[in-house]
Amino acid sequence: MSKKSSEDLSKRSNASNSEKQRPRWRPTRRGFLIGLGVLGGGLAIGVPLGLPTLRLTAARFLDNASSPGPSDTDPFAWFEVTPESRLRLYIAKVEMGQGIHTALAQIGAEELGLPVADLEVVQASTHTGPNDTFGTAGSSSVSGVYDALRQAAATLRQLLQDEAAVALSAAPVDLTIQRTGFVVTGQPEKAIEFAPLVARKSTWELPDELPPVKAVADFQVIGTSAPRLDIPAKVTGQAAYGYDMRMDGMLYGAVARPPRIEAKLTSAAEGTALSVPGVKQVVIKDDFVGVVATSRAAARQGVNALALTWDEGKAWQQAEIDALVAIGDGGGVRVQKEGNAGRALAGGATVTAEYFTPLAAHTSMEPPAALAHVTPEKVTVWASVQAQSSTQSDVAEALGVEADTVEVIPTFLGGGFGRKSFSEPGREAAILSQAAGAPVHVGWDRTEDLRHGFFRPPVRNQLSALLDASGKIEAIQHKQASGDVLFAFFPAAAAAVLGADFGAWRGSTIHYGGIANRETLAWRASVPVRTASWRGLGLLPNAFAVETFMDELAHSAGQDPLAFRLAHLGEDEGDRRMAAVLQAAADKAGWGTPLPEGRARGIACCTDVDTKVAQVAEVSVEDGRIRVHKITAAMDCGLVINPDGAAAQVQGNVMWGVGSALIESVTIQDGAVVAGNFDGYPLLTMRESPDVEVILLDAGDGRPRGVGEPAIGPVAPAIGNAVFALTGQRLRRLPFQLA
Amino acid sequence: MQLTINGKEHTVEDGAEKLLLWVLRDELGYTGTRFGCGAGICGSCTVHVDGVATRSCITPLAAVEGKQIRTIEGLSGENGLHPVQQAFIDQQVPQCGWCMSGQIMTAAAFLEANPTASEEEIVNAMGNNYCRCGCYVRIKAAVQEAGLEMASRQEVLV
Repeated sequence: MSKKSSEDLSKRSNASNSEKQRPRWRPTRRGFLIGLGVLGGGLAIGVPLGLPTLRLTAARFLDNASSPGPSDTDPFAWFEVTPESRLRLYIAKVEMGQGIHTALAQIGAEELGLPVADLEVVQASTHTGPNDTFGTAGSSSVSGVYDALRQAAATLRQLLQDEAAVALSAAPVDLTIQRTGFVVTGQPEKAIEFAPLVARKSTWELPDELPPVKAVADFQVIGTSAPRLDIPAKVTGQAAYGYDMRMDGMLYGAVARPPRIEAKLTSAAEGTALSVPGVKQVVIKDDFVGVVATSRAAARQGVNALALTWDEGKAWQQAEIDALVAIGDGGGVRVQKEGNAGRALAGGATVTAEYFTPLAAHTSMEPPAALAHVTPEKVTVWASVQAQSSTQSDVAEALGVEADTVEVIPTFLGGGFGRKSFSEPGREAAILSQAAGAPVHVGWDRTEDLRHGFFRPPVRNQLSALLDASGKIEAIQHKQASGDVLFAFFPAAAAAVLGADFGAWRGSTIHYGGIANRETLAWRASVPVRTASWRGLGLLPNAFAVETFMDELAHSAGQDPLAFRLAHLGEDEGDRRMAAVLQAAADKAGWGTPLPEGRARGIACCTDVDTKVAQVAEVSVEDGRIRVHKITAAMDCGLVINPDGAAAQVQGNVMWGVGSALIESVTIQDGAVVAGNFDGYPLLTMRESPDVEVILLDAGDGRPRGVGEPAIGPVAPAIGNAVFALTGQRLRRLPFQLA
Repeated sequence: MQLTINGKEHTVEDGAEKLLLWVLRDELGYTGTRFGCGAGICGSCTVHVDGVATRSCITPLAAVEGKQIRTIEGLSGENGLHPVQQAFIDQQVPQCGWCMSGQIMTAAAFLEANPTASEEEIVNAMGNNYCRCGCYVRIKAAVQEAGLEMASRQEVLV
């Protein structure tokens, strides 16, 4: 990804002007036709290259609850035919290591009938390629765009092939698609390249019926472990991230940070900042105070030399914050009700337990960073960000300009994990650039990242269950309280209407269909520290609680934890898939077979975005510390686009789970985050990392599900359950501490 | 002050408080060397100074004057990618990739001295480099693969 200049604004304006004429989007022939007409016309004006450029559009299906898409008036523009006769695929989803550019290129290439390498894959900005107001999050990128992208690619292929047939006086069926055009099969001299082919017509209309997409059995690219497109640049240092963005005349910005989590700025003045060598300007705007300088070091020294006073707010201690995460006597929002667990448990529960998951940080290895270039006509922001669309509106609001004059260009992300759903540096760099009249780069340091971002919220879970005489669960109730996750992104009014934060209770419902009475209630906890999305949202805390509790119930019932889980699954397809991953992980891990002295296994599972995951952990305790030797993971994420990429996501999620289980927590003391760097917030290293074995199962219905997060769920409970099997100690608080 | 980076001479302004990382990245444009912590903990900023893996974020400029600095941009040679880089591609190691320059530079310096390292030695050598994406299984496999390749090349030279 390079700092390529943005496209001509006239294209955007043209598209915007046509907005009114565009009827509500439907993923139908009509939708394609209209999208094509509008954008095709717009591009013919906007692209100064002398060739009409064909773009096709498609829509995200809006009925996929796990991937709330853009508004239904937004067309998607995926493909472009370049003047060099290359097929260019614009991808709005950002590449943060999950391999999404490769996976989506595979989907596009499949329907075009080309190898992945024949496509030019380009990161879309807010002004190029498909609109994407959702961002890259929620393990939804493949499942959310799979149909639209396939249909767009298949349609492009047919349109081009039909016209090529006319041009070459051949039947469409006799043509072969190649990297830059079509050739009559067996007659290499009869060929036409894409660019002159597209130039043959100024208006392209879709056929009456959209072309069929391939059957799964005919896939040649989907389902293969195509090498990741982004990896070569990542081993040579050439890959460019938000922190790497540079421009001629660029200056550096730094921003004043509050001394405590609740501190409010009460007065701000330049102090001696302007006398620091290299400092060019001090920018004070409402509660924003920043410094522009010729180097990062000078900008930071300038910030330290400002004259600021703060109302520091309350000196919060961690225990006070944890106490706010409370399950009330009433008032919880019911997010699951099967049967009547409340009535069944009225006479008392057989087993009850409480679990707690603390604040945790993301610590993406690349701290948040952005470059902004503000001119009177246009604002350009290159940012390491998962949500280019909301960054665009944030920046526009901060600068007081129209949103469509702000182009946000996502770079590669040095880790996202939900942290980069916001780009504070994008906004900060834009404010400073506007004031300085020069491009400004803002890169946070690790202390800013740890103390001034946001966190995984603290979560408390209470579970109670009634077992019958045979050890079968008659009823189970789950009460969950959490700081905000997705409510952090919502207006207060919307949050009030929704009641419970569906990000916070993600993974909290009791997924065992064989239990007749199941209930889950969620409480929203207001905590004084900023919390929001963290990998998997509520999945890790909630799966930790539910799956540890299942283990407690199995032991209470005197049953094998695997057999106990299988016995409580129901008959529907989802539970059958869960049974399959449980059995696959157990078989591969040798569940029930003897282990060396001092080792034990634990098992856990979860469902997330309709992906089923089960894991077996093998642990020991060495010098009073838990050592995780191996995680065997089985995952059914439906149709797999890239098996090696899916396996990599499982491996990464396992490391996140091990880190949360053994190490990670953020502590607030005297109103401030204690950790200021990795000495205070250490991460898992290769020394503590387990071996990981991955088994991929396929539901067999040809539908891809999410891959980026589900496997984070079972890790901590599998480890904790193994420690119980080994030591008899039940661990109900993360990170685990042995007595 | 004169700096020798990947065999090329650069003149930079002297500065007692200047750190090698930011001179490389912001003054000279060698952005392949990444910033992760500024405290010498995570290893993202690792470069070679006279062949020794060195954390550039805590290395004062004065400490490297007259020495040979090698960054990720200078690791591949006329014969193509360094064996460590090739192994990281073969094993499809990087996810986000931000830590990878440091991982690769650490592994390259280590294997150049000890290509026949045991698994335990590799874990010890790589155990101070963070990878937040959790690519550890693959990093280990790639370093093992690169070690085999480098050992076979050394045998040829012998």
